[in-house]
Amino acid sequence: MNTLCQGEMPIDTENDIVMARKSVREAAVTLGFGVTDVTRIVTAASELTRNIYVYAGSGIMRWHSINDSNVGLELVFEDKGPGIIDVKLAMEPGYSTGKGLGMGLPGTKRLMDEMDVLSEIGKGTTIRIRKWLRQ
Amino acid sequence: MTTQNYDKSRSILGSDESFRLLVDSVADYAIIMLDTKGQVASWNAGAEKNLGYRQNEIIGRHFSCFYSSESVNEGLPEKTLKLATENGRYEYEGWRKRQDGSRFWANTLLSPMLDSQGTLIGFAEITRDFSERKNADYARSLIEASLDPLVTIAPDGKITDVNAATESITGRSRIELIGTDFCDYFTDPEKARNGYQQVFRESMVRDYPLELRHANGRVTSVLYNASVYKDEDGAVVGVFAAARDITERKLSEERIKQQSREILELSTPVMQVWQGVVAVPLIGCLDSQRTQQFMERLLDRIVETNSPVALVDIMGVPTIDTQTAQHLIETITAVRLLGAQVVLTGVRPAIAQTLVHLGIDLSGITTRSSMAAGLLVALDLLKLQVVKKSENHRGD
Amino acid sequence: MPNGTVSVIKIRDILLVTVPSDPDDITVSELQEQVLYAMERHSAKGLILDISTVETVDSFFARTISETVKMVALMGGLSVLSGMRACVAVTTTQLGLTFEQTLTALDVDRAMDMLSVAMDDKGDSA
Ligand SMILES: Nc1ncnc2c1ncn2[C@@H]1O[C@H](COP(=O)(O)OP(=O)(O)OP(=O)(O)O)[C@@H](O)[C@H]1O
Ligand SMILES: [Mg+2]
Repeated sequence: MNTLCQGEMPIDTENDIVMARKSVREAAVTLGFGVTDVTRIVTAASELTRNIYVYAGSGIMRWHSINDSNVGLELVFEDKGPGIIDVKLAMEPGYSTGKGLGMGLPGTKRLMDEMDVLSEIGKGTTIRIRKWLRQ
Repeated sequence: MTTQNYDKSRSILGSDESFRLLVDSVADYAIIMLDTKGQVASWNAGAEKNLGYRQNEIIGRHFSCFYSSESVNEGLPEKTLKLATENGRYEYEGWRKRQDGSRFWANTLLSPMLDSQGTLIGFAEITRDFSERKNADYARSLIEASLDPLVTIAPDGKITDVNAATESITGRSRIELIGTDFCDYFTDPEKARNGYQQVFRESMVRDYPLELRHANGRVTSVLYNASVYKDEDGAVVGVFAAARDITERKLSEERIKQQSREILELSTPVMQVWQGVVAVPLIGCLDSQRTQQFMERLLDRIVETNSPVALVDIMGVPTIDTQTAQHLIETITAVRLLGAQVVLTGVRPAIAQTLVHLGIDLSGITTRSSMAAGLLVALDLLKLQVVKKSENHRGD
Repeated sequence: MPNGTVSVIKIRDILLVTVPSDPDDITVSELQEQVLYAMERHSAKGLILDISTVETVDSFFARTISETVKMVALMGGLSVLSGMRACVAVTTTQLGLTFEQTLTALDVDRAMDMLSVAMDDKGDSA
């Protein structure tokens, strides 16, 4: 009753980014998100899984519906990679240690309703994002 | 005749001295022997304590003196004897009167006494003061009568009692609930804890919002009103908390919100004013949520009508702040990504001043002061021209 | 259009490239290469990138497309991004990707019109 949908998948290969987008799209559509919100959530998942693939090599994506007083979707991205050196800086647009635009993390924050970043150098990174269903 | 009966009862009692002593020593129960007519034949210490009369004052008197005059007029004392005789025993609760005229709530068990031949020789009455029980029962029934979920909580946060309404809102029985943590039944246990701790600190809280979770997962929004309660010495022993289910209220608030959203949508119609041109007048304040919706609708309509130009009129927007301006710029950018263009119209002097003072750069955006002027720009972009019909043409 | 396949069609001196709906990163990277070589091979002057079926545009996709447009410009060509979906436009904007230097069109027809007008102008001045 409390969980309408949930799932997890490993992010190891480049193709897993596509698979992640597919799974997240399916979950978001099932929960009844509108087409624009579905696009927002899928885009956020695309950003975060690619970050795992590019910076940590591999990791895992989990998702589950939230069904308290508010209905929503929560996604968790976890890796045991090098960690983010300066989380505050990484959340600023334009900061990239790779050849990216540095838009992935700050953009994800704008697309979602909630975002938590937990990162420890040498240990890994866990990012949790949430989107609430607007009635 | 009366004396005879009395003597008989007495002799029965007297037959077992140790039993007699036992009866005498019981202080909490009035144990009274009545003869067949209801006259007092024997009296113990408990009877004296509960009813006030000393043994020598009461022996031989009719037991109706323990009843109020109304009850006596209604014939209640005789009725109890009759019912006891017929049923073999009779138990009832009711008011009894002491020697000093004060009354107390009593529980009475009346049993007929028969001799070996089965002949009625009298009655044994056992009466107990039930005042406290009655108060407790009364309080309990009040609590039970309450439709609001009520709960008492000990200082350690454990539930000490609940009523039926609490059982139904949590989906758990009283037995299950008592002794468990109050906080366990809320979606936000930490907030629940802060709530009752606040009561212990400030001795009460009003309209504290929490969400109760039913065993089946259903969540109910409630407002708690709670205060501390004290023992006879004035020491705080717990919190008494009453919840009010506000799901209904929330639902109707939600409905109102929904309605105002619908009105809002109606108030930002995206119209197709020309083949290839849509127009939307923005009226009222633009908050984030509203701009978001407006943006989505405008973009959808542009795609639907395949319109390369969108006139956005802000004449009806009373004020603009950085946030709103940012949203407008976002909308304009998104429209551009579709392959269309926004012409901003109705920029009043005050808005123009604010935009410049806020340092908002609208330089890449075509703006016009009126919707009419904007429409000309739109037609120009579509390589269309408005030509005045000449009189000659009409004549042809 | 099978997912994962980029189609490249030449119409006079314009290349029409249709991007699949949910391309993986390799497909997107290869698209850039494919487009640049096709531009050279066919001596094309214009490029239309039709993204009308694309469901998600993330920072990687946006970066690759913007780069491609710039590279085409260096080779003397003009590009138009055509048919972006409304939900994608909202998301892309919010993500902070603006495709600033890129021309856009509602659909392929309009993109064709835009390119022919622009290329005529260029031809006139040259
Ligand atoms: N999972 C991760 N592990 C380690 N570092 C990370 C992780 N995710 C992000 N980072 C760091 O944070 C920086 C910012 O990430 P962000 O996604 O915002 O930009 P980017 O990936 O560099 O570029 P873009 O996403 O725009 O293509 C990255 O350059 C990287 O240094
Ligand atoms: Mg990134």
